[in-house]
Amino acid sequence: MTVREDHWAAAMRAERRGDAAAYEVLLREIAVMLRRLIRSRLARAGLGVEETEDVVQEILIGLHGKRHTWDAARPFMPWLFTITRYKFIDASRRLSREAKRRVNLTMEEMTEIFEAPIEDPDRTLSDIDRYLADLPQGQRQVVRALGVDGATVRATAEQLQTSEGSVRVSYHRALRRLMAKSQRENAP
Amino acid sequence: MVSTLNTNDLIGSLARQAGSGRVAGPRGFNTVLIVAALCSFTISVALVLAVFGVGPDFAAGHHAPLIYKIVSMLMLSAGGLLLASRAALPGSGRLTLMALLPAAVLLAFRAATDQSGLSVLGAETISVPGCILAILIASVVPLTILIGVLRLGASTRPALAGAIAGMLAGALGAAAYSLACKNDGGMFVAIWYPLAVLLVAALGAVIARRALAW
Repeated sequence: MTVREDHWAAAMRAERRGDAAAYEVLLREIAVMLRRLIRSRLARAGLGVEETEDVVQEILIGLHGKRHTWDAARPFMPWLFTITRYKFIDASRRLSREAKRRVNLTMEEMTEIFEAPIEDPDRTLSDIDRYLADLPQGQRQVVRALGVDGATVRATAEQLQTSEGSVRVSYHRALRRLMAKSQRENAP
Repeated sequence: MVSTLNTNDLIGSLARQAGSGRVAGPRGFNTVLIVAALCSFTISVALVLAVFGVGPDFAAGHHAPLIYKIVSMLMLSAGGLLLASRAALPGSGRLTLMALLPAAVLLAFRAATDQSGLSVLGAETISVPGCILAILIASVVPLTILIGVLRLGASTRPALAGAIAGMLAGALGAAAYSLACKNDGGMFVAIWYPLAVLLVAALGAVIARRALAW
């Protein structure tokens, strides 16, 4: 702890003399420490740990912008932790505000959900037929057997009088084709 | 992985700015703070003299009550300066109420030993609201200047830092207003002056929640 204190305080003083290399090493070391600290704090606060890197960057920018407020005659760690605490509180307030907005369900949204047409299972089936119709004969048979009827690969291979390997290959080709088609149709 | 790379890029660009910060550091900040307090006190005095004129005590050479008022408010300002510096510089010391103790003791001493028998409510019916309003007016410029100075620091509790700036501004405004104030009662000064200072502190806290966030 005191080793790190002395080491980091020395790097902060080096920054004031314009030593960019020492300052860069310092910021990297602080970032490693912050990444661990912030990740665990976010998890404990029930906020998304995927925001860790953003929060770490906010703290780095904050300490960089306010680095002149550190008194070189005083310990560096208390200064760093005060800044970190402030920036973390700031970020966690923003994150929980955003989380609230995401889960907020308004009356209008409720009404929309209830009034939305219930999906017709028959229509979904005919959709499958429509998609499958575009596939070559062999692939269509494989997809129908594996994907719709739920048969095993071996049973399908026996039925179509081919190898299990070629059933798998056709199945993957067909899926790729269907995926591409559905993306084309759903694109805005 | 992508964001880790971004952080490294960010660190690289921050590191290239090494040595370009405000070189004056905390000592420079404290100098600016003290100069700002002196300037805003001067402006406040000029404003008070221009708007309210010189009070009867000052004109009659009857100085004792005036000196108590000014000295207690300047002692409060000194405590406020110490707290403002600490609030703006992270890790520079505790925000202790002890800083305000000397001024409080002097006000209490004056109130306890005052033999004049003057009313707590002042000489006229509008004395209390008049004095409070006058102190608020005299504190506006100091508050604006001091919040501006605190923005140069790094307040990690913005509302509290703003309350301290407001207390300091209120004390400076009250010290300036004592030159014009007609009410000398010890209890009057001990109650209504601090109340006016508290109102400026509350105003400072409200403003600073946004003004001092960074």
